[in-house]
Amino acid sequence: MDAHELTAAYALDALDPDEAEAYERHLSQCEECREQLAELNETAAALAFGAVAPAPPTRLRTSILEAAAAERTNVVPLLRRRWVSRGLAVAAAAAACIAVGLGVSLSQSSHPPQSWTVAVGPKGKATISVSGLSSAPQGKTYEAWVIPAGHAARPAGLFSGSTSGMHLGGTVPPHAVVAVTLEPAGGSKKPTTTPIFSTST
Amino acid sequence: MNRQLAHLSDEALVALAARSEQSALAELYDRYGRSAYGLALRVLRDPELAEDAVQEAFLTVWRSAARFVPERGKASTWILTLVHRRAVDAVRHEQRRRADSLDRATEPSVEGAEEDAFLRLQRERVQAALRHLPDAQREALELAYYGGFTQSELAERLGQPLGTIKSRMFGGLSRMREVLSEPGTETSWTPTS
Repeated sequence: MDAHELTAAYALDALDPDEAEAYERHLSQCEECREQLAELNETAAALAFGAVAPAPPTRLRTSILEAAAAERTNVVPLLRRRWVSRGLAVAAAAAACIAVGLGVSLSQSSHPPQSWTVAVGPKGKATISVSGLSSAPQGKTYEAWVIPAGHAARPAGLFSGSTSGMHLGGTVPPHAVVAVTLEPAGGSKKPTTTPIFSTST
Repeated sequence: MNRQLAHLSDEALVALAARSEQSALAELYDRYGRSAYGLALRVLRDPELAEDAVQEAFLTVWRSAARFVPERGKASTWILTLVHRRAVDAVRHEQRRRADSLDRATEPSVEGAEEDAFLRLQRERVQAALRHLPDAQREALELAYYGGFTQSELAERLGQPLGTIKSRMFGGLSRMREVLSEPGTETSWTPTS
């Protein structure tokens, strides 16, 4: 078969299943076709931008994020406050949280992986908890920050890492970022190191 | 809008999604959801089926983000390829398409909705690139990509040998690539600052 010409058809998803399978087998042995496919895939995907794109219904975004959350049991959906006020209040009250961010450490080298949870209550009071975090080195402390959208980082409390969680100082507004850095003992007025964790509410 | 994520590349967002960072998936959707939906709607011509295709594609992004290899291509290409594949699979399962005529691949109109300026620019560039192609190549690309027809179906419907259809697709896509790679035709999302 003329593999080059099938590369275009494959990039356009225009092969029958049998043909596609045969082409994929060929692909595994042909570096030249792999390179060409990468190029033609990009061009084919550009055709996507040629379609008129009406705005999808807003429920599609919600539906995707909820389904994604449901697939990973350790992830709680990031709910926006205005959604809460529009009918999720019961569920939110039951969970006693209206915004939860959860993530793993941004540090590639952490062992075991850290798992962070930030839970924001109805009035913006928030807690942060973590597992897998080692104690802060001598002379250092972990410091939590609340960064309201468009504003500077605000100190939200110090912790040593030996505890699993704490309440954040002040309140956390919607669409803020919560971050944690390692700071000199006693804490800093603004972050001086790269966050080891950050999430948005 | 999460200002911090807004400054990350698509590829960095995929890496975060691979680490269960749901806001990264949300940001990818905010960047490409509309194009994805437009593509799925063009192929499927049914809003509900288009939503399903987009949802399945983004969930595939979520599930397999850890396997994405940036060296092999852009994240946006990966996402839109997943959307296209879902949409094409769905349209091939829809029997009613079989009764449709070839004009299904023609362009629907913009329905009075305000359209994002960036998306409009991208669309105009791609459509201009398509207009650069000989009619037979453009027809083959549009029917295959937007219509979801296989090369064998196209050969039959257009009354041409399969080899001719293959050549038109290859020639058309290669020419598109040249035109789009000219300056000012970048199609990926670009941070605003």
